[in-house]
Amino acid sequence: MVSKTEEEQVNRLENQVENGGGGAWEYLCLVRKLKLRRADKVLKYGFSVLNDPSKRSALGPEEWTLYEQVAIAAMDCQRLDLAKEFIKVLQRKFPESKRVGRLEAMLLEAKGLWAEAEKAHSSLLEDNQFDQVIHKRRVAMAKAQGNLAVAIEWLNKYLEIFMADHDAWRELAEIYVSLQMYKQAAFCYEELILSQPTVPLYHLAYADVLYTLGGLENLHASKKYYAATIDLTGGKNIRALFGICLCTAAIGQLTKGRNKEDKESLELQSLSALALEKAYKQRSPAKLSLLSSTLRSLKVSL
Amino acid sequence: MSGEARYEIHQTAYIKLVLHALKHRTAAVNGLLLGRASPDAAAVEIVDSVPLFHSQIGLLPPLEVALIMIEEYYGEKGLSIVGYFHANERYDDFELATVAKNIGDHITRYFPQAALLLLDNKKLEDLPKGKERSPVMQLYIKDGSSWKLGGSKGSNQLTVKETSANTVLLDYISSEKWKSITDFDDHLDDISKDWVNAQLFE
Repeated sequence: MVSKTEEEQVNRLENQVENGGGGAWEYLCLVRKLKLRRADKVLKYGFSVLNDPSKRSALGPEEWTLYEQVAIAAMDCQRLDLAKEFIKVLQRKFPESKRVGRLEAMLLEAKGLWAEAEKAHSSLLEDNQFDQVIHKRRVAMAKAQGNLAVAIEWLNKYLEIFMADHDAWRELAEIYVSLQMYKQAAFCYEELILSQPTVPLYHLAYADVLYTLGGLENLHASKKYYAATIDLTGGKNIRALFGICLCTAAIGQLTKGRNKEDKESLELQSLSALALEKAYKQRSPAKLSLLSSTLRSLKVSL
Repeated sequence: MSGEARYEIHQTAYIKLVLHALKHRTAAVNGLLLGRASPDAAAVEIVDSVPLFHSQIGLLPPLEVALIMIEEYYGEKGLSIVGYFHANERYDDFELATVAKNIGDHITRYFPQAALLLLDNKKLEDLPKGKERSPVMQLYIKDGSSWKLGGSKGSNQLTVKETSANTVLLDYISSEKWKSITDFDDHLDDISKDWVNAQLFE
C-alpha cells in the first residue's frame, strides 16, 4: 500500500519531469519501489533516458533494470514493437536468463498468444516451481481472458504454497467480491485479519463484506469490525463511521426496536454521527447539511 | 411501461462518465445518472451524472451511503436517479456484469424506465478516427425480468443532447482532463474531494 505522503511525492516528481525540471531517473526508481502502475509516464520518461547514450551509461548496471521496467510499461501501453526491442537488448546481454524469459512470456501474453504463453510459463516453472512471479502471471492471464473461475483456481493453488502472501489473499478476496461470492471473500479477510490483526483496511473490508451478506448475525459482527477499524485509525476512518450508522439502522429495521443492547448500540451510532459531523464541518463544510439529511434518513438521532 | 422510451443525455453528464472510466483504466468503474422523465414517460432526460466507485464495486455499504447522499443532493434540484453507468475492467469485455444488473434492478424499483449504460470500449477507441456522433455507450433497458439492448430497431434510442459532445470529449482526453475527476470513492477517502465535480468544467 502507498501512503499519502509517498503518493504526493510521486505526483510532485511527475509534475517536475513533465515540465522539464529533470528527475526522470528518480521518478522511475520511485515508481519501481512503490510498485505503481503508471505505464504511460514510465514509457515516456524511461524511453527518453534509454535513448540518450550519456544518460544511459551513467546508470551503470542499473541500465538493465530500466530496460526491464520500460519493456513492461510498453506492453501495458500496447506498444509491443518497443517492448520487443527492449527485450531483445536484454536477451543479447543475458542470453540464458530466466528473468528475461519471463519478459518473453509476458510479450506472448500481450500479443494474446495464450497457449504459447502458457507453454513458456510451464517450462519456466519446471526449472523453478517456486517462482512466485510465474505463478502470478498465470492468475493474471486467466483474468485477462475473463476466466475468473480459473484465476480463482490458480490463486488457491498458489496460496497453498505461499500462505503468507497478503496481496494474493487480497486479490482473491476482491475477485470473489466482483463475482458477488461474499462468503468466500469473508473467508479471505478472516485469514488476513488473523495474520495481520492491526491493519485497519482488512477489518474495514471484512465489515463491508459482512454487511453486504446481511442478516442479523452478520450485521452485529460487521458493526464490531467497523468499531475495530475506528479504534485502529483513531476515529479517522470515514467509511467505518458511516458503516456503524448503516449497521445500526439495518439492525433496528430487522428487530423493530426489540433489541436488548439497544442503548449501547444507539450510543455508538450517535458518537459515530458526531464524529462524521465534526469531520465534515472541518473539511467539507459545503456538504455538511447534506450529511445531516443523510444521517436523518438513516434515522440517526443526534 | 408503454412502448420504448427515448433517452437523451446531456454533454456534461456524458463526459463525466467517460472521463471517470479513463482515469481508472485498469479497473471497473460505475456511476449514477440523474434526470427526469417526461410526463407521458416517453422520454427520459439525463441531466447530470455522478462517478461512483473504482474499487470493490460489489460491496453494499459505500453504495448505500452514495445513493442516499446523491438522492438528497439532486432531489433539491428536482432531479432523481434515472439510471446507472458501468464500465468493465477488461477492454474486450462487452458483457453486462451481474453486479451492474443487480444495481440496475434496484434502481428500477423506484424508476421503472431506468437506463443502464455500458461503456463501449470499441467505439471509444475508434473515436479519434471517425466522425461518430452517437454516444460511446450501449443502452440497456429492463424488459420483464432481464435487461435487453436498446435501439434494436436500428434507431438511436440513446442520444447526446449536444451534437458536439464527442469532439469536446476528445479535446478533454488529449488535455488529460480525466486526471481531475473525483468520484465517491475519492470522497470517502478524503471528504474534501467533491463528487459533484463542480470545478471540472470551469
